[in-house]
Amino acid sequence: MPDLLNTSLTGMLAFQRALQMTSHNITNANTPGYSRQVAEFATRIGGGAGKTYVGGGTKISIIKRMYDQLLVEQLRNSATGQARFTALNSMAGRIDSLLADADTGLSTGLQSYFNTLQDVSNDPGSIPIRQALLGEADGIASSFRTLDDRLQTLDSETNDRIRLAVDDINRLAAGIADVNDEIAIAGVGAQPNDLLDRRDQLVLELSGLISVATTVQEDGAMNVFIGSGQSLVLGDGAQRLGVRADEFDPTRLSVAYEGASGSTPLDTSLSGGTLGGLLEYRTRILDPSRQSLGQTAVAFVQQLNEQHQSGMDLRGNLGGDLFSMAPPTILYSSGNGGSGTASAMVADLGAFTGADYILEFDGASYSLTRGDTGQSVALTGTGTALDPFVADGIEIQVGGAPAAGDRIMIRTGQDAAGSIQNAITDPRALAIAAPTRSLASNANLGDASISAPTIVDSSDPALLTSAVIAFTSPTTYSINGAGSFVYTDGDPIVVNGSSVVITGVPSTGDQFTIEANYGAAGDNSNALLMTNLQSKGALDGGAISINESYAQLVASVGGTAHQIQAGLEAQNVVYANAQDAVLAKSGVNLDEEAANLIRFQQAYQAAAQVVNVTKVLFDSLLNATAR
Amino acid sequence: MRVSTRSAYLNGLAAIQQLQASLDRTQRQISSGRRILTPSDDPIAASRSLELREALSRLQQFGRNSTVVTNRLSQEESALAAVNNVLQRVRELALQGSNATQSNESRKFIAIEMREHLGNLEQLANQKDGNGGYLFAGNLENTQPVSRMGSTFTYNGDQGQRFIQIGEGRQVADSDPGSAVFFQIRSGNGEFATAAAAANTGTGVIGASSVIDPTLYDQDEYTIRFADPDNYDVFDSSGGLVASGAYVSGDTIAFRGIEFTLAGEPAAADEFIASPSPFQDLFSMVQNLANALETSSNSPESRAAMANQVNAGIMNMDQALGHILDVRTQVGSRLAAIEDQVDSNGSFALAMQTALAEIEDLDYAEAISRLSAETTTLEAAQKSFVITQRLSLFNLL
Repeated sequence: MPDLLNTSLTGMLAFQRALQMTSHNITNANTPGYSRQVAEFATRIGGGAGKTYVGGGTKISIIKRMYDQLLVEQLRNSATGQARFTALNSMAGRIDSLLADADTGLSTGLQSYFNTLQDVSNDPGSIPIRQALLGEADGIASSFRTLDDRLQTLDSETNDRIRLAVDDINRLAAGIADVNDEIAIAGVGAQPNDLLDRRDQLVLELSGLISVATTVQEDGAMNVFIGSGQSLVLGDGAQRLGVRADEFDPTRLSVAYEGASGSTPLDTSLSGGTLGGLLEYRTRILDPSRQSLGQTAVAFVQQLNEQHQSGMDLRGNLGGDLFSMAPPTILYSSGNGGSGTASAMVADLGAFTGADYILEFDGASYSLTRGDTGQSVALTGTGTALDPFVADGIEIQVGGAPAAGDRIMIRTGQDAAGSIQNAITDPRALAIAAPTRSLASNANLGDASISAPTIVDSSDPALLTSAVIAFTSPTTYSINGAGSFVYTDGDPIVVNGSSVVITGVPSTGDQFTIEANYGAAGDNSNALLMTNLQSKGALDGGAISINESYAQLVASVGGTAHQIQAGLEAQNVVYANAQDAVLAKSGVNLDEEAANLIRFQQAYQAAAQVVNVTKVLFDSLLNATAR
Repeated sequence: MRVSTRSAYLNGLAAIQQLQASLDRTQRQISSGRRILTPSDDPIAASRSLELREALSRLQQFGRNSTVVTNRLSQEESALAAVNNVLQRVRELALQGSNATQSNESRKFIAIEMREHLGNLEQLANQKDGNGGYLFAGNLENTQPVSRMGSTFTYNGDQGQRFIQIGEGRQVADSDPGSAVFFQIRSGNGEFATAAAAANTGTGVIGASSVIDPTLYDQDEYTIRFADPDNYDVFDSSGGLVASGAYVSGDTIAFRGIEFTLAGEPAAADEFIASPSPFQDLFSMVQNLANALETSSNSPESRAAMANQVNAGIMNMDQALGHILDVRTQVGSRLAAIEDQVDSNGSFALAMQTALAEIEDLDYAEAISRLSAETTTLEAAQKSFVITQRLSLFNLL
């Protein structure tokens, strides 16, 4: 038979425990990942018979963890998305503001270089102005290098961040495995609420780094999978992710899964989370930016060098290179078995993309694919010096003895901007003048005049050899006394790599001379042609000028950064909503707890009052029998 | 919906942070005056602004270039104006010298003054520009263009002409080579020159000459030989007879599309020659005149020879004056073209600056009202955060 004292005691004990639980809720109101706990009361079965059945008090049947699996999974997914965009946004924002900065921006440097070139063409004989142009050349070369250097710094920072993210993933995976172990120890069917909270919090943090999928086993242990189904945590065991050097470039880190059966590369199957965001940033923003900058650099250097080589300097020599630049970088796969080699050069700016290419040998022939898209690119030629492979404006020569399956990466644009150097230090070596000039003889009787020569082949060995165009009749002429050519008013005449146009009616015996332009300190013909390169279309089939190419880079980075910002804002809202939903279910409300505190305190007091009643009842019994 | 204490706190804070971020952005826009802070704010506008800035910078450079060309052409123009004045004076002197009232002595004085002017002309042709280069040496700007060896004048420059870019696709020559200005002047009447043979013994003097039918004129050298004082034959360079005629003093002799007048009394076997005008230099022209005037002429024959030379010289002066005028006209039209181009560059630049301002510049009125709206919202959010966070049942326990 239940007795009054025991019944009230069960109430006191239950309410004490409920108060304890309330205080646990209150103290964890700000603990991330904490799920509030709710006590459920149940009656104790009492005794009695028939119609006088009396209950035996109360008990806490369960302390429930307020929790919704679906909401938690939503939160994890949105955390993965949000972290991806946060990583992308913070890194893309860096390039964005780098390009916005007028001091590191290339555009002003390019303008200033070409303007000084025009100053030189205004007064070509002036050594101080030539010196100023060399200063500008140093400046623009260093602008290219600085910009590329900053991008490279971002690249190595990305490496560091990837390493940190992988470390974090490994730490969290080990943590989850440990908690799994503790949960298993608690036994099947147990509800170790705080351990479950801790594990969910670890998984949430993990899903901020990498996209995960989870399943819960019978014994309560949780399995975590990443990528394309690789298990990161199985029960109380965790696998590791590793970083390893890229196949081609040892300074570039990629992510590998260190499974039981060895390490497998993961890069392409990772998406989402900080790690996915970093890898995506590298391939989607950073690499293309460096390649595009390299494309601009190659267009600038090749065009100027080519034109400069078609000019004559103050000493009467043909111009050399204005700027030096490394050829496309050749990287050999660490897995290559043969000794095949390759070299490459940019041959056609109009088709040049600046992209990375992978040249693969299948045992009999070579094939080329683009590094970024994996698309195969048709090769023409045979790869020899005389007949190199040609693809996308690049000429590739191969040699050595490659083994089947050997791979070679050709980085055509990425390293270009970082390697530009001013190649001329002597102001007199600037080839500002044309290499040849034309003269009409003073003895000419006709009214024909000759144009200044334009250079059609600066490599003609006889370029600087004098040539005389003598009219043997008003309609025919000979060159250096030989041949008889029909004269057509206004048609170009090409002699020794120079092209001149004679207009008007010559008399028999009239002579025109083309000779080396020695001593022409005042000639600016070549500088004029060089300044025209500023706005001349060169890239993309001759549609894009140097400055436009840089503007394209700015627009493309800006556009991507803009998209990412918009994406991040959307993800922030999704995440905030998911978090709100989880907190609405699981979060502690202090007012609610305060109310519970009052409720349980009052219930406790009431139960205690029952003890007092018991005492009074007992006392009256004693008093009744003590007489 | 159930609101947990933590989410009330997190949401309130997030709202405040977001407001602060946009306030910071507005503030940075206002302090920099720029609508676009990084390319991502407006990628299209950012790249458009790069292109506009490049075009503007080129226009500014074209402005500088125009100043340089204008300076050079003005220098050339003033040199040519001086040359013109000297030539006018030389021509006057020649006319004066050709007057029959002049004595041998007075003609010598005239010749002396003429040689002074010759020296002036040489100096003008060898003038340097502001940068120390020779104005008329073509591209060989460090080479003195005109030198005299004995009685021969040589041009040492080249025939190059420097062009300066003054607009997109617009180039203007900033000089003319001395060869074109001083050395390649057609003598005579520009088409052909006449001369009396040195061995003439008569007093025939050649007057005005011209081409009357260019289709008949074949630029051959013709010799007019007097068989006797009243009859002449015209032979071409290969000795073929072209025409014959009877002569009366003051007659116009015409053949093969050209004509000239002849006065005086040529002797039998006297010869007059009409040959295609060669290039002659200005200096030799003046020198020949001075030489002719210096020659003592005491007989009618020698006076006729001198008259022929002085007449040819005066004709040359007319050619030279016309030639210099041509060059000056070209210089003038270049200067006018530059002015036009500067004007059009200016209006281009203005249009671009307007476009650039529209793309880049901040609308201050809009930005400042945005700033005050954002400030108000932020203050309200902060106050409401404090108020809601202060609410707690515990305060009432």
